[in-house]
Amino acid sequence: MLKSVIPRIKDWPINLIAQKRDKILQETISEAVLEFNKAHPTLSQLRDQLQKTLYLEHIRLRSEAWEVDPEDEKEFWGKVKKRLLQADPAHMDEDISKEQHQELLQDIMSRYANEIIGHFEPNMFWFARQLLVRVFARLFNSHFGGFKGIFNPQEKLKDKLIVAGPVEKLRNLSLKGTVILVPTHFSNLDSAIIGFGMDYIGMPAFQYGAGLNLFNSKIFSFFAGNLGAYKLDRRKKNPIYLETLKSYSKTNVLAGAHTIFFPGGTRSRAGNIETELKLGLLGTVMEAQRIHFEKNPANLAPKIFVVPLTISYHFVLEASSLIEDQLRRTGKEQYLVYDKPQTAGKGIWKFFWETFSKSTDITLSLSEPMDVFGNSLDEDGNSIDKLGNPVEIRSYFVNKGQLKADDQREMIYTQMLGDKIIEGFFKNNVVYSSHVVSFVAFELLKKKLDYPDLFTLMRTSDEDREIDWDTFKTSVKRVIDELYVLNNKEQIKLSPHMTTKELDEIIELGITNVCIYHTNLPILRTKEGNITSEDLKLLYYYHNRLIGYGLHKCI
Amino acid sequence: MGSTSASDKHPVGVIGAGSFGTAVANLLAENGEVLFYSRRQEAVDIINKERINNGQTIHPNIRATSDLQEITNNCYLLFPSVSSDSFRQVMQGMAPFLRPDHMMIHCTKGFDIKLEPGKTILDKDIILKPSDIYTMSKVILEETCVKRVGCMSGPNLAREIANQHPAATVIASKFEEVIREGESAIRSKRLQVYSNHDIYAVELAGVLKNSMALAAGALGGLGYGQNAMAFLITRGLGEIIRLATAMGADRQAFLGLAGIGDLVATCTSPMSRNYTVGARLAKGETLQQIIDTSSEVAEGIKTVSISKKLADSTGIKLPIIQYIYKALFEGLNVEEALRYLMEYRWGYDADYM
Repeated sequence: MLKSVIPRIKDWPINLIAQKRDKILQETISEAVLEFNKAHPTLSQLRDQLQKTLYLEHIRLRSEAWEVDPEDEKEFWGKVKKRLLQADPAHMDEDISKEQHQELLQDIMSRYANEIIGHFEPNMFWFARQLLVRVFARLFNSHFGGFKGIFNPQEKLKDKLIVAGPVEKLRNLSLKGTVILVPTHFSNLDSAIIGFGMDYIGMPAFQYGAGLNLFNSKIFSFFAGNLGAYKLDRRKKNPIYLETLKSYSKTNVLAGAHTIFFPGGTRSRAGNIETELKLGLLGTVMEAQRIHFEKNPANLAPKIFVVPLTISYHFVLEASSLIEDQLRRTGKEQYLVYDKPQTAGKGIWKFFWETFSKSTDITLSLSEPMDVFGNSLDEDGNSIDKLGNPVEIRSYFVNKGQLKADDQREMIYTQMLGDKIIEGFFKNNVVYSSHVVSFVAFELLKKKLDYPDLFTLMRTSDEDREIDWDTFKTSVKRVIDELYVLNNKEQIKLSPHMTTKELDEIIELGITNVCIYHTNLPILRTKEGNITSEDLKLLYYYHNRLIGYGLHKCI
Repeated sequence: MGSTSASDKHPVGVIGAGSFGTAVANLLAENGEVLFYSRRQEAVDIINKERINNGQTIHPNIRATSDLQEITNNCYLLFPSVSSDSFRQVMQGMAPFLRPDHMMIHCTKGFDIKLEPGKTILDKDIILKPSDIYTMSKVILEETCVKRVGCMSGPNLAREIANQHPAATVIASKFEEVIREGESAIRSKRLQVYSNHDIYAVELAGVLKNSMALAAGALGGLGYGQNAMAFLITRGLGEIIRLATAMGADRQAFLGLAGIGDLVATCTSPMSRNYTVGARLAKGETLQQIIDTSSEVAEGIKTVSISKKLADSTGIKLPIIQYIYKALFEGLNVEEALRYLMEYRWGYDADYM
C-alpha cells in the first residue's frame, strides 16, 4: 500500500468540497437554469420542456417506483401540474407567466440537485477502509491458514489487485490539477474495486456517480452515500434532469473534485471493451477546462487531466444477465430463450471469495494521463507534443486571439477526447488467459459451424459444440503469438501469467479461471480431452473481450 | 460569410507551390493577403520578382517566402497543398512552429501509407487493411498539435481555375468554425463553396476516383464514346462507394461535388496524368514503359493498387478495379479486360445506395 498523497483525509479535495455543500448546490442550480434557458430561450419552448418533463415523470411514477424515491414524490409532481396549468400564458400577462415558468424550472432543478448531490464523511471513509482490509485479511486467513494472513493481508492483496501503469505520475498529477478517471465498465463492482485500488496507491478519494437503484439497499446507501458517491437515476431521461446532472458534474469538476466517469454509460452488455462512449458528462469536462481559462490568467488556470483505465477480470459477476440482455436487444425476434437464464444472484461475497481465495486476480490498468485534448503530459502536468515541445492548450479555445465558448467546437473536441480514451482502453487492455481461451473456443466454433447468424449458433446442440484439442491448442498458440506482436507494437498488454507460463499451463489456467464462478461452464474439456461449452452465451461474452484487435485472422 | 474573415487582418498561408497550390493562392488573394510557401528559395524569388509560377500569373496580394515560421507566425489559417508523398514530412517539419490556434484546410488528394522500409505500394505482396490508410487530415492530427482541420476537395482542375473559369468546391471539416473561416477566405465570384461535416468521406472520394480516371483513359484510348464513359462513371461510383463504406465512411458525400462531381470532371478530362496513363495502356504500352517515360508516377496507378489490396483484405467485390489492376500489373490486355467486364454479371443497377 502506497502512502497517501495527502496524508489527512480531512484535507482531501472531496472533503473540502463536501464542506461547501450549499455553495455547490446553489451553483449547480443557477448554472443549470442558465444553460437550460440558453437552449430554450422562448416561453413556449420552456413550457414544452416542462410539460414533457412532467409527462415523463408521471410515467416513471406509475411504472417504475422505487423504495428510494421520496414519499412526497407524487405530491410534488401533482403540484407541478397544477402550477403549470395556472401559469398558462393564454390566461395571463406574458411576463407573469414567464416568471412562474422560471420558478417552476428552478424548483424542479433544485429538487433534482438535492437528490443527486453526494456526501463525504472522512470518519466513515477511514472506517470503511479498515473494514475492507479486515475482510480481505479474513479471506486470506481462511485460505492460507494460520495467522499469517491476518497480520500481513496487504502482501497478498498486492498479487490480487494489481494497479498497473503510470502510478507515480498519477499520484503527482492529483496534486497539480483535477483528475478525471475514465474506466471501462464491466461490473457493478467496478466502482468499489477502483475505489479500493485508488486508495491502495495512495490517491485521495474520487467522486463517482452510482445508480440510484443501488441506494435502494440500505447498507449500500449508508456506505456509498457517505463516501462521495452522487446519485444517478437512469429512469429520469427528461431534459431538465439531464441538464441538472451535467451542471452538477461541471460544478464539481470546476471545484477541483477528482472524479470517476464511466464514459460507456452503463456496463458493457456484450463483454467487449467500449467503442462508443456517452459524451454528455465528458463534455462538461471540456467546458470546465475552458471556464478555467476564462476565469484565470493562462499560467494559473487549473488543469484537468484525463486518465483512461481498463479493468481486467477473469470472470464477471453479472456476465449471464448482461449477455442475455445484449442478445435480447440485438436479436429481437431471432432470439428465443430456450433455457431459463442462469441467475446471477450468487452474490458479492461469493465473487470476493472466489477472486481473493483462489488463484485469480484483478488488474486496473492505467493509461498514460493526458490533457482534455489528448496531449501527453510531463511530470508536472504541462502539455507536450510528440517531440516533447510545450503545447499551450488555452489556444484550442481561441479564434484569432479571442478566447470564447463555441459549443460545436467543444463537441468535436469531446468526440476527439472520446477517441483517445477508447485508444487508451485498447492499448492498455491486459490480456488474461481466460480471455484467450474463450476467444479461441468461440471463434473456432463459429468457423466450424459456419452459421449465418449468432442466434442459430447459440442454439447448437451439445454434440456439435466439440472442438478437437489439437486444433484448439494450435489456435491458442497462434493467437498468443499475434498478441506478442501487438504487445511489441504497444497495442495491447499481457498479464504476467501469459508470459511466464507454458502453453498448456496458460490454457488450463484460463479454463479454470473463467469457470470458477459460473454454474454452466462457458468452456470445459470433455472426457476425451476435447474442448466444449455448456453455455455458449457466456463463452460469447468472454470471447468479446478480445474483439477489435483483428485476432480472428489467426483462427 | 461574415466580414470578420481570417483574411481581413491576417494573411492566409498556402504551403506548397505546385500548380494547385498556386491556383489556391490566387483564389485566396482575391479576398486578402496571402503568404505563399515554397521550400526552394529560387522559386520564391521567381514568384516574388517575375510574378509567375507554374504558368500562372501571381496575384499582387501574394508574397512568397521560404521561411515556414514566418507563415506560422503571421497566419491563423493555413492551406497545405503538397503531394501526399511528402505531406507527412512537411507536417513534421512544420510541427515545431504550429500552435493550437492554427487551422488547416488541406487540398491534397492522396493517402499516406506506412510501409516497411524498402517496400512500395506497387509491390504485389503487400497486404493493406483500412487501418493502414491515413488521409491527410489524419496525418495532420498525428504529426502536429493542430486539431481544427479541414479539407478542400471537388471538381477543381488547376488549369481551369487558373483560367478564371467558374467552379465549385467543398470545404469539409468536423468544425463549423473551420468551414466558416475557410469559406470566407476563399469564396469568390468564380468559386462557389459548399460545406460538409464528413471530412473522412470527402477525403476518400477525392482519392478513390483516380482509378476511374485511369479506366476512363483506357476507354478513350480504345476510341469508345459517351455510352461507355457513362457506364464507367456510374458503376465506378458504385465501386468507390462500396470500398469507402468498407473503410468506414458514410455514403452521402459521394453524391456531392467531392464525389460524383470530381469523378465526372476527372474522367472527362483527357489532359490529366491518370487519363493519359489509361490511354497509353490501351494503345499497348506496358506499365513499365509508361513509368519510365513519366516524370512522376500518376496518382491513379497507386490508387488502383491500394484499392485492389483493400478489396482483397475486406472481401468486397470491385470488378472494375480488379480488371484495371490486372491490366496494369499483370499484363492483361486492356481490350481483354474490357471483355471480361462486359461479360461480368452485375445484377441490380443502383445497388450501392
